[in-house]
Amino acid sequence: MKKILAVLSVLLIVVSLTACTKKEETPTYELALVTDIGTIDDKSFNQGAWEGVKQYADEHDITYNYYKPTEASTAAYVEAIGLAVDGGAKVVVTPGYMFAPAVYEAQTLYPEVKFVLLDADPHTEDYATFKIESNVYAIYYAEEQSGFLAGYAAVIDGYTSLGFMGGMAVPAVVRFGHGFVQGAEVAAAELNVNVTVKYEYLNSFAPDAAHQTKAAGWYSEGVEVIFAAAGGAGLSVMAAADAATAKVIGVDVDQSSNSASVITSATKGLTTSVYAALTDFYANTFKGGTIVTLDVAKDGVGLPMATSKFTTFNQAKYDEVYDKLVAGTIVVKKDAAKVVDLVVPHVVVTVEGAE
Amino acid sequence: MNTDTMIFLIRNMVPFMIPLTIVALGGMFSERSGVVNIALEGIMVFGASFGIFFIYFVPDLMSPQLMILAAMGIAIISGVLFSWLHAYASINLKANQTISGTALNLFAFAFHDFLARLITKTGTEGVSFKNVFRIEKIPFFGDIPVLGDLFFKNVYLSTFIGLGILVVASFVLYKTRFGLRLRACGEHPHAADSVGINVNRMRYWGVLISGALAGLGGLVLIIPTTVEYTGTVSGYGFLALAVLIFGQWKPSKIFLAAAFFGLMQVISNSSGLAFFTSLGINKYFYQIVPYLTTLIVLTFTSSKSASPKAAGEPYDQGKR
Repeated sequence: MKKILAVLSVLLIVVSLTACTKKEETPTYELALVTDIGTIDDKSFNQGAWEGVKQYADEHDITYNYYKPTEASTAAYVEAIGLAVDGGAKVVVTPGYMFAPAVYEAQTLYPEVKFVLLDADPHTEDYATFKIESNVYAIYYAEEQSGFLAGYAAVIDGYTSLGFMGGMAVPAVVRFGHGFVQGAEVAAAELNVNVTVKYEYLNSFAPDAAHQTKAAGWYSEGVEVIFAAAGGAGLSVMAAADAATAKVIGVDVDQSSNSASVITSATKGLTTSVYAALTDFYANTFKGGTIVTLDVAKDGVGLPMATSKFTTFNQAKYDEVYDKLVAGTIVVKKDAAKVVDLVVPHVVVTVEGAE
Repeated sequence: MNTDTMIFLIRNMVPFMIPLTIVALGGMFSERSGVVNIALEGIMVFGASFGIFFIYFVPDLMSPQLMILAAMGIAIISGVLFSWLHAYASINLKANQTISGTALNLFAFAFHDFLARLITKTGTEGVSFKNVFRIEKIPFFGDIPVLGDLFFKNVYLSTFIGLGILVVASFVLYKTRFGLRLRACGEHPHAADSVGINVNRMRYWGVLISGALAGLGGLVLIIPTTVEYTGTVSGYGFLALAVLIFGQWKPSKIFLAAAFFGLMQVISNSSGLAFFTSLGINKYFYQIVPYLTTLIVLTFTSSKSASPKAAGEPYDQGKR
């Protein structure tokens, strides 16, 4: 029995090895996405970007694939980009500010390959040198406006005890949080009510029983809705909300399908912007060497009103405040060092843990 | 401390405590039979995977409570099958048990990713599920003041199953012939062998029971704490190992240890509660608490460790 098993397993290895050596069968992928921490189904920015790639590729019958770095380090990211290029990639999409140093290296390493960098522009690890080559298109999103809309909508809808749980204090998440507080302030001033915001970074983007407990604690203290800008960790917040029959505001993509507790999501147009960048590439109008910020004026951010569960806040109200953001009547600050530095007389912000 | 805070702490201890107890009891059966099982984490992932797949694919077939029972059954079966690999490697092949366990741990994550991408409609590794398994209130018991709030409202069936397992486990270990033989194989397998006990068979039982309980524990941990299973149990399998050691390989102490770790976890995540902020202690302190208390307690208990003497050693009949 043992001998037969041994012979069989040797055969299996030999067969699979020979299968690998058939070079001509190795498929190539024109479009590639390298994932940041988390995977392509994080219900967050990896997924948003991936859906853009997938949608374009499927519609235009182009091969595509994604690559997952072995660890969260610049070396591993560069390596994964290398794999993608070896795999035949003409365009590499890299979602997340963590890719900035990796793309900084890769843009000169692979000048013939185009890069779409989300949430960042290429720079060295120590932020000393910023340089963007003609094969890189860097996209920022105005997360502060998206967060603003979420905070505004929540307070107008009658919630006065809010919570913010960010994944980590990385620039995009911080902008979401600061926007959220400012949105609550504007709405509170309009209604002349007082609003409280519990504010914390979880230091994690993954679901964990610990986050569920933390959220349950907040809900038991009277928090009515938590804005979970924390990728997969938000899933645990939703579990707590389900149990406490409380509410959650999702992030990045429309998360209403995840839980009945999701009243709305502060989205950014990851899918559409990646799709647009790929369209440009194939039309030979790739905006290489440019850095853009997609905001309300460019339909880069917003709330998915069709799936939102508001009672008093409505489309008309949404359009009104949206237009004010576009017109610049309301300006959302995004460069405050700390959330407590924001001037928000109607909102009491309690920072939990580190900021 | 007011009652609300007390109730909150105890209620939120349960989602940690029950899976930790179940999984640590599993580890206990394995180690008491003489096989170290550090694959608990991997088996949890594996068991939860199949339990969640079941819920994912047959959403409306039966009532929620029946469905969770069926899912638990599937988690148990898959846990047993998966732990069979560990049993075969460490008993028949006399392989190093740590290496075999590590292999299972590494395999489980990758296997979940692979399988989930293959069979889910979205083709992604996250498997979302609707949590319909919470019981709002148990009739009659839920009306008891305080106790009703604590244990009979917003509960999961798994809580009672976990407590049941605890009782059964201590009965089996101490009051049955099987338990005595199992313990003998973990302490002095040669002595057990000399009186006609089949050591390898007992060890198989030990490992397979641990597989069953770890598989179940994985599912029980996931259900109340997220709305989508992504193939990770965030290290709670290793924490269960700590609970096992902390609990001195004894069911009742394991339960207390799990309660202790559960409480510490809740406290570290509850620094925002009014009671804790009113104490005026730095918020970081609460995050340190679980690790600090573990260090202190282990310092005092480690000297009288009651680990099974033959745990970790492959049984070799010829060696005396």
